[in-house]
Amino acid sequence: MRNNALLPVIVVGLAVGRWGLAQEPVPTALPSPASSSSTSPASSSLAPIQVRVDGERKQRADRTADTVRVSGDRLRTSPKATLLEALAQDAPDMYVPSRGAGIHGVGSGATGGIHLRGLGGSPSSQVVVIEDGTPDYQGLFGHPIPDAYAPFLLDEAVIVRGGDSVLYGTNAMGGAILLRSRWRQQEGWELENDSAVGSYNTLRQSAAVLGKEGRFGLSGGVLALRTDGHRVGAGGSNLIGQFSVRTRLGAGWEVTLREKAMHLTGADPGPVTHPNDNHFFDVWRERASVQASWHSDAVSLRAQPFFNVGRHELYDGFRSVDTTSGAILESEMRLHPAARLLVGSAVDRADASAENRVTGERMPVRAQQTASWYDQLTVEPVKGLQLIGGTREVVSASYGFVFLYKGGFRWSLGNGWYVRGRASRNFRQPTLSELYLPFPTANPNLKPERSLGTDAGLGYSSRHLELSGAWYRNDVDNLIKYFGVWPAAEVVNIDHTTVVGLEAQVVARDLGPLTVRAGGSWQDVGRYTKQNPSARGVFGVELRHPMGGWTLRSALEGEWVHGLYMSNYSRDRMDDVLVLNLAVRARREQPDRDLVVEPYVALRNLLDSRYAYVKDYTMPGFNALAGLRLVL
Amino acid sequence: MSRLSFSSFAWVAGAWILLALSGCDSAYPEVVVVNETDERIMLRELSFNGCLWTGVLAYGESTSPQRCPPGSDRVHFKKLDAAKYCQEQAEAGTIDGKGLCESGALLPGTPSDSGPTENVPRWFSYQTISEHAVSYGDFRRIEVTLTDMEQDFATPGPYGH
Repeated sequence: MRNNALLPVIVVGLAVGRWGLAQEPVPTALPSPASSSSTSPASSSLAPIQVRVDGERKQRADRTADTVRVSGDRLRTSPKATLLEALAQDAPDMYVPSRGAGIHGVGSGATGGIHLRGLGGSPSSQVVVIEDGTPDYQGLFGHPIPDAYAPFLLDEAVIVRGGDSVLYGTNAMGGAILLRSRWRQQEGWELENDSAVGSYNTLRQSAAVLGKEGRFGLSGGVLALRTDGHRVGAGGSNLIGQFSVRTRLGAGWEVTLREKAMHLTGADPGPVTHPNDNHFFDVWRERASVQASWHSDAVSLRAQPFFNVGRHELYDGFRSVDTTSGAILESEMRLHPAARLLVGSAVDRADASAENRVTGERMPVRAQQTASWYDQLTVEPVKGLQLIGGTREVVSASYGFVFLYKGGFRWSLGNGWYVRGRASRNFRQPTLSELYLPFPTANPNLKPERSLGTDAGLGYSSRHLELSGAWYRNDVDNLIKYFGVWPAAEVVNIDHTTVVGLEAQVVARDLGPLTVRAGGSWQDVGRYTKQNPSARGVFGVELRHPMGGWTLRSALEGEWVHGLYMSNYSRDRMDDVLVLNLAVRARREQPDRDLVVEPYVALRNLLDSRYAYVKDYTMPGFNALAGLRLVL
Repeated sequence: MSRLSFSSFAWVAGAWILLALSGCDSAYPEVVVVNETDERIMLRELSFNGCLWTGVLAYGESTSPQRCPPGSDRVHFKKLDAAKYCQEQAEAGTIDGKGLCESGALLPGTPSDSGPTENVPRWFSYQTISEHAVSYGDFRRIEVTLTDMEQDFATPGPYGH
């Protein structure tokens, strides 16, 4: 009996050992489009600095960090309703709650908060989203808006787990989500159209155009989504438009202009037991950045000012106008064939005005601004071993001088195996809402949060198999937490708390027509259990099979969430979540007509489970979305 | 084994799509709630498993049918006992015992207490004691009665910020 129980372990061990001896490592510079993880073995030497991917330099990244890389194509074909939920399917230690089929919302009742390794959540200001090189967060509430992200123009997304405030500044405590838009690589033009209709009168329409003409490149698109929602008040609409233009000026110079605007409407439906009547929100946001970059064989330079403004209106008369602005100046240079140095400086400012139009009350909000300098040194003292170290010095008008640092290593052991470890000192400044807005309460004496994130992991990568596992620990000082409910609510700094966890993933790729993924995470978050699950599992089976002139692609995905509470101190326990989704797509390429036709259907909650991530915000039962994607 | 042709696949997929799209919200159970409490009692803001009826329901009246998500829940509502309110007003002297007050043993006229009076009727939160389960395709008529209600002390706090 005991021998039988050990048999699968022995078989897997032998298989891994065989692959480990037989397979060549996947070259790091050539990630497979289907790859979900960047934890491939280190390259034999530091890559040349001029290697470019869509105008962005990947060398900047810290390869000792525990990252997950997900292609835009994989996110576009996910059965999940929103981008962040789709992203969390590839990272078991990332948890993104939802309350419906496509709308997360803002304000009370909103979901979509990003939880990464026990940090983040509601509000998700402990995880920063970097979109095309610039941080994306509201000036007033200090967190990204989950409905603002859509995969239709995405090249790839990278989840940096464990925090990295040295590279990404404030908020990067639990981690960072890096989103990169795509560009057309070949000369010519490309037009994409995706139309879908689904349950709850859901209509989704996106159109994108990508072009490259000599030195010029253009990438733009519009996404419109509207739905009635699965119950009263759960509907809404997202209208997102963005475009980017770039030109190569010669002599290594390149200028890129990016612009993104959105209009988000919807409501907080309230708990199913006590639904709300028209608790609407209406959000307009606009962001722009200009990036000037220059590169030579040994040096690269990037200057990128950015501006982000938004207007939020809520049903109760609340209206705010917030801005986030700043600039990044960064240079990376190769000091030696085995050493690279990144230095940079950044300034940012968050400001807002807020009022209640019903009562005429104006909230006294004061702007925050910081300046910082950072550096990161990457060396490879011996073949296969990468060491990295960095510091960031932050000067804040409100909090004085903050010193941050990090150090890490990644060692390729051969035959696809590697070990890595990292420690980073991170921070988050309080948001303007935590300091000044009485919703439900404010505390102008809050101090910045600081954390020491450490993690270590082991992994293996080959053509067919990827394994990775990591242990992590976050020691957080001055954690900002809300307690109680209005009018007895308070927001205070918690002296110290610790999060400890384990995470593991396996991907068996191209096993005939199948790719199988599975991952799990466990964490001990101490007393602060609100919406911070203790365990999460993700799994999926993908099929790719030619049928005549068509290619059938299907993905069956599942998610299991355990140890979910609605309150801290392990109170208000919720039922485990188990949900299955299926996407089926058929793709036909017609080169003679320059046309790709791809009908698809996404079937969500196949088991028709009654489940909820947020208490009494019950998720939809079985529902579907069917559409047609055309590429010209 | 013969291979499935694409046209067959397309038909199967299309049937799945139609089945899926027609089998969701359009098949949600329909629910109506009837006020069967007492002729003196009015109900408002009735809700059941995500459905909300915003009007006031007098005795004997029913809500309009509404499609609610399948599942189980109690009926939640706010209750006003018009006779009790009227009697309180009569005791406070703010009314002189007309209308419904005249039909009961009410005290007209002189206020018995010179303290603060409640001029605005207070609707208290209640819920049914019994839980009702509804499933796809159901048409469910739920009666709210005096023997099947209790005060609802649930205070759903805001989630989010």
